[in-house]
Amino acid sequence: MPAKPLEKIFYAEDDEDIQRIVRMSLERIGKMTVMVESDPLKAIEGIKAFQPDLVMLDWMMPGMDGPTLLKTMREQPETAGFPVVFITAKATVKDHAELAALGAAGIISKPFSPKDLPEQLRGIWATLP
Amino acid sequence: MTAPALASPTDDQRDRSDRVRVLADQVETLYRQAPLGIAVTLVIGAVLAFELYSSAKIGELVMFWGMLTVFVCGARLGLVFAYKHAQNRDTAPDIWLRRFAIGALGSGVTWGFAGAVFFPGHTDEQQVFLAFVLAGMSAGGLPLFAAVWWVYALYAAGVMFPFEVVLITFGSRLFTELSFMMPLFFALNVAVAYRMNQVFVSGYRLRVSYGRLTEDYTELNQRLERQLIELEEVRRQVEASGRKLELFAERSPIAVLELDAEGRIKDVNREAENLFGYPASELVETGASIKLLVLPANHAEFDEKWRELLSTRESMAGLRISNPRRDGIELVCEWTVTPLVNPDGSIISIIAQGRDITQQLEADRLKQEFTSTLSHELRTPLTSIIGSLQLVNAGVVGDLNKDQAELTEVAERNGQRLLDLINDILDIEKIDSGKLSLYSEPMSLDTLVSESVKLNQGFADRYNVKLTATGLGSSITVNADHKRLLQVMTNLISNSAKFSPAGGSVEIGLRQANPRVVVITVSDRGTGIPEAFRNRIFGRFAQADSADTRAKGGTGLGLAICKRLIELMDGTIGFSDREGGGTTFWFELPIHNPG
Repeated sequence: MPAKPLEKIFYAEDDEDIQRIVRMSLERIGKMTVMVESDPLKAIEGIKAFQPDLVMLDWMMPGMDGPTLLKTMREQPETAGFPVVFITAKATVKDHAELAALGAAGIISKPFSPKDLPEQLRGIWATLP
Repeated sequence: MTAPALASPTDDQRDRSDRVRVLADQVETLYRQAPLGIAVTLVIGAVLAFELYSSAKIGELVMFWGMLTVFVCGARLGLVFAYKHAQNRDTAPDIWLRRFAIGALGSGVTWGFAGAVFFPGHTDEQQVFLAFVLAGMSAGGLPLFAAVWWVYALYAAGVMFPFEVVLITFGSRLFTELSFMMPLFFALNVAVAYRMNQVFVSGYRLRVSYGRLTEDYTELNQRLERQLIELEEVRRQVEASGRKLELFAERSPIAVLELDAEGRIKDVNREAENLFGYPASELVETGASIKLLVLPANHAEFDEKWRELLSTRESMAGLRISNPRRDGIELVCEWTVTPLVNPDGSIISIIAQGRDITQQLEADRLKQEFTSTLSHELRTPLTSIIGSLQLVNAGVVGDLNKDQAELTEVAERNGQRLLDLINDILDIEKIDSGKLSLYSEPMSLDTLVSESVKLNQGFADRYNVKLTATGLGSSITVNADHKRLLQVMTNLISNSAKFSPAGGSVEIGLRQANPRVVVITVSDRGTGIPEAFRNRIFGRFAQADSADTRAKGGTGLGLAICKRLIELMDGTIGFSDREGGGTTFWFELPIHNPG
């Protein structure tokens, strides 16, 4: 379990409504700092600049999907080390296995409960080294 | 060696029965003529007796002879009468022949007796008269007895033998000479009788053979007629089944093609013409190959299958082949190909039956597309709706007044219900199309039950129902999909909670039924399941009362999903009435034994 509490979240998501709900949930209920990026192609730059504790990725995004974005992150030393959690409507066993193989720290299924989202993220944070 | 079959008589049997029939005919002739002989005997006997008696010194002897003659004649008449009424005339003619022969001998002997007794003591004229009568009697017996020659021989011997003795012993030269000639007469008469007998027999044989021939002929005719009727019946049946087959092929909504072993089209039905757009004449008369109807890109694959068909000579089913129509449009058909093989192994023809599944495939694709669209496009906005309402209801954006809070709660609850329904429908679709894959892993049932109680207590609280678990503390594990098993538990527990009386409790039990099976029970004290609903409770959109949908919520798909999921995990699910009221839902799963 990391020594420092979970505070800074970077979130790549193209749907603005979901962005707003997640931001409100994490900021108001979870008391976290959130940076949201709609364009996955700008996400790498955003992560480098924001230096979050944890990155949250949507699976399906226009331009570049979540798994590809994760691979790109892993290829660059500046972003390779951030823990990544997927938040996705894809829920099959195969999908989960694929994400686990890519090195995702956790998966949160859509639809998620914004009431419980901060707790879920802290639960995953607690399993990290 | 066993006897030949009894069905048809052997030649030997037939020969014997013919002989019996000929003999029966001979005997019948003898008896038919007997009354005439007896009448003649009585008349001549009467004349003789009168002649002898008028000059007799020995009248008593003549009287005695006359009575003897009458007695023998009477006996013979009785025999004739008995014969006419006998049942066994045709089956045992030999018995009746023997009886007749005794009668004939008796008759002969009475005449012989007359010769022997009366000849010596009378005048010359009377002796000539007597000799004349005896000669007449022995000659007259010929037509009467000659049907069986030895019967005549017995009769004639009876007449002549005593007379011969008298002639030899009489002493006069004339009589001695006569006595020398007597055996000659006898032999001559018997020879004539024998000859007549032969003629009779061959006549009878001819008659029997002719009768037999007629019988055979009639039987043959009848048999022929029967066979003709049978043949006609078979012909009608063949014709009917031919017509039926033709009708089947012609009116069938399936394309039917007859091919030879080289793949040339020999015949097609109407549907094949319609489907592929070629008239039958064009396909059949030009000797077109079936490959005309196969996409050129698939020819290599087709050849491979064709070779397999020719070598195995076994029917192939479910072959999906892309078939270009004459106008270039591409169809996908599912084919069943069956070789018709002679007993010697040569191929008569190959029947190909094809069903156009182009539209079916398109429909399947659309359904899948629809399902995945439903999954994504409906769930995404619902995620936003429910999420927003949850945040509002959690007070994240400040406190609401009572009316506002009530309305946003209604909105959130119904949004959640819509989401549940969509999820349930997607689950059912996935399970039914075989696309649901389970992620099975060994897991502790103790943990699962505790988890499900914790997860559903919030829901149960809404109905003021307590959840209690019993039977915990075992180390039973099952190999199952954790998420899906939790889904089953949630369905059963929430159902029971909904139908429990306020203040009641739902009991979740865990027990080992036998070394291989574990049972999990969820019991309530509700009103029980209505009789009419019991056999469709695990069906889709099953709810006891449609008013329940509004009153209790739920999609009506929960138990249908539970049943499918439990069966996918090699288990069974069911329910039973609970003693003291209420219902117990249970499911069994195989226990996981490591190693």
